[in-house]
Amino acid sequence: MAFHNGSILLAAPAGGDYEKVEGRDRETIECQRACEAVAADKTASDYDHIVWAYGVIWALFCVYGIMLWRRSERLSADVATLTRKLERMS
Amino acid sequence: MLVRQTWILARNDLRQEMRDFELVATAGFFTLVVLVMFGLSFSSLGRHAQPMAVPGILWLAVAFVGSLTLTRIFDRERESDTLRALLSAPVDRLAIYAAKAMVTLLVLLGCCAILVPGLVLLFDAAAPFAERPLATLCLVVLGCTAYASIGTLFAAGLSTSGGKNVLLSVILYPLTSPALMFALVATRTLIDGHPGFDAYLSQLVALDILQLAVSGWLFESVVIGSNAAGGRRRPSTRKD
Amino acid sequence: MGRKLPLALFAIGAGTFPYCVQRVFLATPIERQMGTVQKIFYFHVPLAWIMMLLGVVCGVAAALQLRRGSRTAEAVAISAAEVLLVAGLGVLITGPIWGHATWGKAWTWDARQVSTGLLWLIFAAYVLVRHYGGVGSERLAAALAIFGAIDVPIIYYAVKIWKTTHPDNNVVGSLPPEMWASLWPCLGALVAMSMGLLLIRTRHEKTEMMLDDGWVQIEDLARESADKDKS
Repeated sequence: MAFHNGSILLAAPAGGDYEKVEGRDRETIECQRACEAVAADKTASDYDHIVWAYGVIWALFCVYGIMLWRRSERLSADVATLTRKLERMS
Repeated sequence: MLVRQTWILARNDLRQEMRDFELVATAGFFTLVVLVMFGLSFSSLGRHAQPMAVPGILWLAVAFVGSLTLTRIFDRERESDTLRALLSAPVDRLAIYAAKAMVTLLVLLGCCAILVPGLVLLFDAAAPFAERPLATLCLVVLGCTAYASIGTLFAAGLSTSGGKNVLLSVILYPLTSPALMFALVATRTLIDGHPGFDAYLSQLVALDILQLAVSGWLFESVVIGSNAAGGRRRPSTRKD
Repeated sequence: MGRKLPLALFAIGAGTFPYCVQRVFLATPIERQMGTVQKIFYFHVPLAWIMMLLGVVCGVAAALQLRRGSRTAEAVAISAAEVLLVAGLGVLITGPIWGHATWGKAWTWDARQVSTGLLWLIFAAYVLVRHYGGVGSERLAAALAIFGAIDVPIIYYAVKIWKTTHPDNNVVGSLPPEMWASLWPCLGALVAMSMGLLLIRTRHEKTEMMLDDGWVQIEDLARESADKDKS
């Protein structure tokens, strides 16, 4: 009877053939961890890039919106000036 | 009729130029200076990099000289206000455009007559210019036509509207970028001895025709309209 | 109606936006080859389309301005050019960000990048001429816009040819078909926003023109009455 318990095969069945558990020896584990680290780095870097990209897009639209708002304030002031001038003339 | 008017106007400009050679001398000297600057900057390029740099040097120098030439040609007009007088005369507008474009082209070609031999002297990679003079001539004429066609339209417009000269450079370089790219590719194939040179030349011809047609069509609207504007703006205007 | 339309467009954009975010980040699978960073495309591509569309709008408006002397067309042209600059800046910045994440290199002289950059420069020149040109330079600027609109296909073709002498191995990925469903809401939101900004800017420009006219008239009236008093 063989227990597949963690990384230890508790008892080898008689006859000597056992099923090797894959991926649990040190080399493979380290290799896996390295790959996972690379993937995690990529994910973190990807998130960085996505945040910057979206942030830039919204910043651009915000800045233009603010420019338009300032322009509209200035236009209102000009309309008021012109109206006053007109009233003074009439 | 159109051809005759064009010829008369162009001959007039050229005759004026022959009197003191101001434009030819200043543009020619500027070409020399630009050539020396490029020579200084890029002389240390290796054998492999030179064939890639020489087309760019040639056409950028043409662009710089073209900008200077156009500014000067129309400054002269603006100083004596002759363009407005010309516009009120019963002259076909297209003839005015064609004459100015032809004069610009001639000045540019004159500068290329200094530029191309200079490049052959300074850079080994430019040797094919000397080996195939006819092909080089065609290429140079077509490329300079592309610059002259657009530049004349916008320089004329700026001179009649009182716009600042710096705007000419701002307008001209992005607009001539297709012409620049076509010319660069054609020059590169000439230098490398590539078989596709004729195809690229014919594309340059097509681009020239298109630009001349559109510029000629737009010339009247651009130049006439600016005289009619009421012109005044309210004082609190700060265009931002 | 004129006052409400931009607000309605902004409301549509704002309303669609959470749906876009949900679709892009939660509902769309992560692309196999490029990973999460491919999601930048969902805003990058619509902005590029908006930029091209506005280029054509600006050119057509400029042609109408020259042909018919239409002041509305003149206002639409400058507005389209300004919003084009905003959208184009978005494309030109997010593209290299994506490129940096994928290839480690931000600017790769890729054909589409270069074409977009050149067109952006042409319309930036247009905006500069409109702002800083002399009083009569509106028609010159219109000619510039017409050339810009005509140059859209020409520049693409020229850059493609130019690229054959500057070969490189980078290929801009194209959007896989199964992700189109996420693209459309993003396109809708961005188009709504851009059109709202365009309409507001057009109205500003028309107001400026009317203010200039009104000021000129008042000055003329004042001068006339001063002359009359004198005589």
